[in-house]
Amino acid sequence: MDPIVYVSLGAALAAGLAGAASAFGVGVAGAAAAGVVAEDEKNFKNALILEGLPMTQSIYGLITLFLILMVSGILGGGFKFTANTPDNIVKSAILLGAGLTVGLTGLSAIPQGVIASAGIGAVAKNPKTFTQGIIFAAMAETMAIFGLVGALIMIVTGVGF
Amino acid sequence: MFRPEEMVKIEVITLNRYKDGLLTYLHENGAVEVRELNVKVAQRDSPNEYHRKAASYSITISRLVDFLRAHKRKGKGSIKEFIFPPERKKRKYKYEGIEKLIKDVEEFLSKVEPEVKAIEAKITSLQTEIERIKSDISVLELLSSLNIEVSYLRSTDMLEIVVGTVDRNRFKPLLEEVSKATGGRVVVVSKELKDRVLAVFVFLKGDYEKANPILAKYSLERIEIPEGEGTPRELIREYEAKLKEREKDLEDARKDAEKLAEKYYEDVVFYKELVENERDKSSVLPMLARTNMTFALTGWLPRADVTKILEGIKRLTGGKAYINVREPSEEELEEIPIKLNNPGWAKPFEMLTEMYGVPRYDEIDPTPIITFTYSFFFGFMLTDFMYGLIVGLVAALLVKGHKKLNDGTYKFAYTLLISSFFTMFMGAIFGSYFGNALDLAGFHVPRVWDTFENALVVLQLALAIGLAHLFTGYTIGFVVKLKNGDKKGALFDQLSWMLIILGIVVLALASGSQSAKLTGEVIFGIGLVLFAIGEVVNNKGLAALLIISDFFGFVGSWLSYARLMALALATSGIAMVVNILVQMIWGIKFLYIGPIVGVILFIGGQLFSVAINSLGAFVHSLRLQYVEFFGTFYSGDGKPFEPFKAKREVSELEFEA
Amino acid sequence: MSGILDTTLALVFTWVGYKTSMIIYKYTPYSYPNARIKAMEAKLLIEQRFNELAESRTLQNFVVSLEDTPYRDYLADLQSYDVESIERALEKALAGTYELMAKILPKRVNPFFRLLLEEWDVRNITSVVKAKLADEPAMDYVVEIGPMLQKVKAMAEAKSMEEILVILEGTPYEEPYQKLLLGEIDVRAFETELYKMHYGKLLDYALSKKDEERTILEEFVRLRIDKLNILTALRGKAARLSAEEIRPMLIPGGSVKLDPLLHVEDLSMALAELDSTKYGPVIRDVREEVEKDLGVLERVLEEHIIERMNELNRFYPLSVATPLGYVLQKEREVRKLRAIAKLISDGLPPERIKELAGDVA
Repeated sequence: MDPIVYVSLGAALAAGLAGAASAFGVGVAGAAAAGVVAEDEKNFKNALILEGLPMTQSIYGLITLFLILMVSGILGGGFKFTANTPDNIVKSAILLGAGLTVGLTGLSAIPQGVIASAGIGAVAKNPKTFTQGIIFAAMAETMAIFGLVGALIMIVTGVGF
Repeated sequence: MFRPEEMVKIEVITLNRYKDGLLTYLHENGAVEVRELNVKVAQRDSPNEYHRKAASYSITISRLVDFLRAHKRKGKGSIKEFIFPPERKKRKYKYEGIEKLIKDVEEFLSKVEPEVKAIEAKITSLQTEIERIKSDISVLELLSSLNIEVSYLRSTDMLEIVVGTVDRNRFKPLLEEVSKATGGRVVVVSKELKDRVLAVFVFLKGDYEKANPILAKYSLERIEIPEGEGTPRELIREYEAKLKEREKDLEDARKDAEKLAEKYYEDVVFYKELVENERDKSSVLPMLARTNMTFALTGWLPRADVTKILEGIKRLTGGKAYINVREPSEEELEEIPIKLNNPGWAKPFEMLTEMYGVPRYDEIDPTPIITFTYSFFFGFMLTDFMYGLIVGLVAALLVKGHKKLNDGTYKFAYTLLISSFFTMFMGAIFGSYFGNALDLAGFHVPRVWDTFENALVVLQLALAIGLAHLFTGYTIGFVVKLKNGDKKGALFDQLSWMLIILGIVVLALASGSQSAKLTGEVIFGIGLVLFAIGEVVNNKGLAALLIISDFFGFVGSWLSYARLMALALATSGIAMVVNILVQMIWGIKFLYIGPIVGVILFIGGQLFSVAINSLGAFVHSLRLQYVEFFGTFYSGDGKPFEPFKAKREVSELEFEA
Repeated sequence: MSGILDTTLALVFTWVGYKTSMIIYKYTPYSYPNARIKAMEAKLLIEQRFNELAESRTLQNFVVSLEDTPYRDYLADLQSYDVESIERALEKALAGTYELMAKILPKRVNPFFRLLLEEWDVRNITSVVKAKLADEPAMDYVVEIGPMLQKVKAMAEAKSMEEILVILEGTPYEEPYQKLLLGEIDVRAFETELYKMHYGKLLDYALSKKDEERTILEEFVRLRIDKLNILTALRGKAARLSAEEIRPMLIPGGSVKLDPLLHVEDLSMALAELDSTKYGPVIRDVREEVEKDLGVLERVLEEHIIERMNELNRFYPLSVATPLGYVLQKEREVRKLRAIAKLISDGLPPERIKELAGDVA
């Protein structure tokens, strides 16, 4: 395959998968938020913050997308790996790998949404559990963070600015 | 600092006639947490008639408050009021015993309650009437499709008339069965609606009984015919006129209620607070022991308040009281309530410790440490000078406005304010001002590292900070356990990890030097061996499994600090995305669209970025404290200090003490 | 080489996709209803509220104190403050709860709540039939819930037993009622027959589900069957009926074997037998009270079901256990409120009301 295919696939998968997962996650939590607000509007603030948590994965995806576009030169200047040399193919494959890592670990947004949803319910029942709910939901994000760190190492060491 | 407030136990026995005074004194002071007293010979005290009255009046008054609040003219509810909430005036009340207070409340209620109730009843009855008229209108609208005089639809002496709706496909069999049962002596007028049929059945009085069960079998839903004469259309007009009239009445009644609210709202809230505090005061009665003449009370109070409280009790009882203040005993360790004790600069951060759980009496209070680490991590993750400035400005305003209230908003804003300093500092180090906005604008920004280009340095930094954080935790745990005599725990659970961390540090710094490398390996090895022995001692058979899982648990905790770098990167990443988009748009010269849209996009985008990244920084900084840091040494199993204390927002008690 | 790579990738993606869609399928539909129910749970009345209600002294105060609760809507159109209309309003509130559950829960379980509602039909029909047979005013026994409420009311107003048959025509209850009319079965057997039908339906539905839904629903149904059977058996024993007399009254599908319990002499021995079943720990603490009053046992068993649902709820926060636990708690609350209203109208002092209302729930 041509390097451009790898690069654009990597960028697309990073932002696309993570974004889709975030959408599902926020969707699940959002349904719960709508539920508790239907009963009592006082729950709005707490539910809103918990609902926002699964959004981070899409941000990681977006950042990775931009990083990939930048190091490959698509953004600013011109595409660096136009020639079909082995070196270029390796570099662009690394970028694909980095994108895939962020995209797949970004799937953690879905379970995070499920946790946030349960947390929103728990907070509605007992507002004191708000912080705990946030921490539980933040646990699921760890994988996405590891993914981003891993991807970053791949991009910086494997390709470089 | 580092230790919860020292607590002592107090025991008081005095005459019954001082009870009300003494409880009021303690309640207003709020320094003692009253505990249940178990004495075999004496009986439990219980609320008397006045206390019960206080309870029932508090319900009555809070209903009045609810009603009046609902009809009070709304304040503007502006942002200004949120940032600078107006101080509520405290009204004085001269307290002369609960009997007098209840009498005053009764007097007040006898005047106000009938007035409020009258208006409330008027509003409710008008509302029900309006509802009824509306439902009558909808029935009439249904009937209007028949266009029969309404009076013909009512039963007479001879005829039984039933109006109702039934499922469309069940109408035919119903008709057949009914006419069979009545021998054809039935008249039916019907009209097909969407999926139901509206039907009027006319029976002879004598046939009705036969037909009725059949109507029930086919689930005929009966319709009550509204009062009045004329065709449905005419009646609807009549009813609508009536509706308008009632709605106007309702509006007037609401205005009256508004006036009433203006007149009495403050009073009602004031009396509500008075009786609610009485009710709260009576809640400790079952914890007291009493005899015919005396009663006894026990509880915990901070050592700092002892002299004041002792003097107060003596003054109140004229010295006729037995008072005993003593140190907590070894067995009572578990039940000593914990009041955190930190200097002013760390006080608001107690909120974060309390959210996790207060320390046990023999544990260390981590608040001063997390004051620093929480704020620092927050700053590290937000890493932007301008973002720090924005957060800091908002927080400073809130701190100023809420300082007097000392409420949750104040505490939270204070933590944000401190964190914002770190944010600005870290932002300056990474040369981040709205991300790379200044670079794109062509300025030369001084920076130590760049978040993207030196990403690996940032990662190393994050991991080093994590190691230091964990090491602090283990060290504190080591000291605490040693102090409490848990030598085994100190050695195996804490020292082992300290050595492992030290080993890792030496190995990382060794860079080439063989002897340093060897030292590192030795330290690491000793730590590992201690840890393994500890696992075997603690868990016997499962040790092999747990050694592996706990060791990787530690590695996981450590790597978890990589989120410092990931979130720092996320901040500059989003800022960069916004900046690049603005830069792209800026180029459109036509009608200044570029700059105009660009500015809007820039402001909106950066504000969004501040919001989402602050949330992330808050959540993850807190998580690093709660999960990783507290996991190394802290239980948070303590029972928070809940003093016997009156809630006074709009009232103030004057009483002889 | 690239073949292996492609296959691996395809496998990984399929697996991830499958798992992800499973998570979404399983939890998303419960997200909204369960969060909403949790918020509703926060509004359940606490002990202190019940005590305050017990202090009301008049029914008007009682109604007024309920005005900041979800009962408000149902109490708003109260014509007068008498026990009957208050009870009706409370029953309507309970019916409203069931209907809300059926409305907001995902399609794959909400029929269960409609089925649950049918239990009220069964109760109503049997009480109306019993009242008719005893020549009592049947309307007093009708509870304002159930999908067939209209018919039940018509039954209560019916002048003869044959009229009731006409009303029941076409419903599943027609056949047992016909048998009752023909004298093939007595009224007790009629009642058992209705309950058997009802629980049979519930159990069939529960067993037709999959995974944790099945686990939870099945446990719920079996627990309820057990509760009924244990009560029937012990009541029978208290009345010194023989095993053969009691057995036909039991509903099949329970999770404990009650046979050994049927063959003992009297109530206390039956309780001893029960002690060796899984309900042993449940009744152990209240055994002495139970021997005096089987109502205590009913309460304890009900409490046990709620507790079990709460356990399942903690284990599966986004599952059907949450609504099940909620409706049970709501049922208990309504029962307690009804009792308090009744006791207030009887003019009992607040202390007594608190005591007695505690016994109801």
